Amino acid sequence: MKKLLFILSVLMLVSVSAFGQSKLKTKSGTINFEASVPSFEEVKAINKDVSAILNTETGEFAALALMKGFRFKIALMEEHFNENYVESSKFPKAVFKGTIVNFNKDAVSDTPTEFEINGSITLHGVTWDINVPVKIWREDQFTVLSTDFKLKPTDFDIKIPAIVSKKVAEEVEVNANFSLSN
Amino acid sequence: MPISLYPISMMNRKSIIVIVAFITVIGVVGYKYLYQDHREIDSEDVVAALTSESISEIFKHDAANDLLNATVSVKGVISEVDGRIITLDDMVTCSFTSEISGFNIGDTLTVKGRCIGYDDLFELVKLDQCSLLNKN
Repeated sequence: MKKLLFILSVLMLVSVSAFGQSKLKTKSGTINFEASVPSFEEVKAINKDVSAILNTETGEFAALALMKGFRFKIALMEEHFNENYVESSKFPKAVFKGTIVNFNKDAVSDTPTEFEINGSITLHGVTWDINVPVKIWREDQFTVLSTDFKLKPTDFDIKIPAIVSKKVAEEVEVNANFSLSN
Repeated sequence: MPISLYPISMMNRKSIIVIVAFITVIGVVGYKYLYQDHREIDSEDVVAALTSESISEIFKHDAANDLLNATVSVKGVISEVDGRIITLDDMVTCSFTSEISGFNIGDTLTVKGRCIGYDDLFELVKLDQCSLLNKN
């Protein structure tokens, strides 16, 4: 019985470490977004503390950005973003969960290869399915994932007041970059 | 009637000065409001002095509403150093604005920063705009 327990625990340890190795991660991914309209003040923010995990065996990818981590050039814009638009005290994070279609870690090389990623974004209490291209390449010890896509605030039930609606684009351009390592 | 040197009477001049001053004040106040400075976390007083364990417990029990966006200090032992980011006891990440050096795993630190929330992926409390308060 003791022996069996020992073997079981060794097996579990081995499987846990094997599991660990297939996961690449970062705590300092970046997400930029821009919703500027020409000739008005730029509406642009960056979050440099985004967490992400990629399972290289299954292609599963998850990312989490804390809304309060988005920094704007203009302090008042940051305040409005947090308090009126994304309501970051009520909905503190944005989460992406999805899978890279036909991901094969051996297909990743020094030159960017395009994959497709399927998943959903949850923010402001609303979950929205997205399907976007993603570029993946290797850079030193990192596997880099980079994607650009557009989101509509209205899809996430984020209301832009009429008084500023001309100054904020209807579609927000998002760029996300993750340098993942063991 | 003699041609007045000043087409605007004294009374009118006074009111014009008042109006101009008023507009200037509104303009300055408005500008200051629209382009106000960002918070300076490292010059703010801390709302709570915590340890990596206590702050992590608060977040795990979802009782952290008072801490969100607040300036706090956290004491802990470095478990990871990565570029701008220090992790304390695998429970709190402290993100500095620029690259940091001279920190080693095992050092005990007290860090001041703005609490931005809880990261479920890594089960970590996150602080940004950090500064070092104390190194033991």
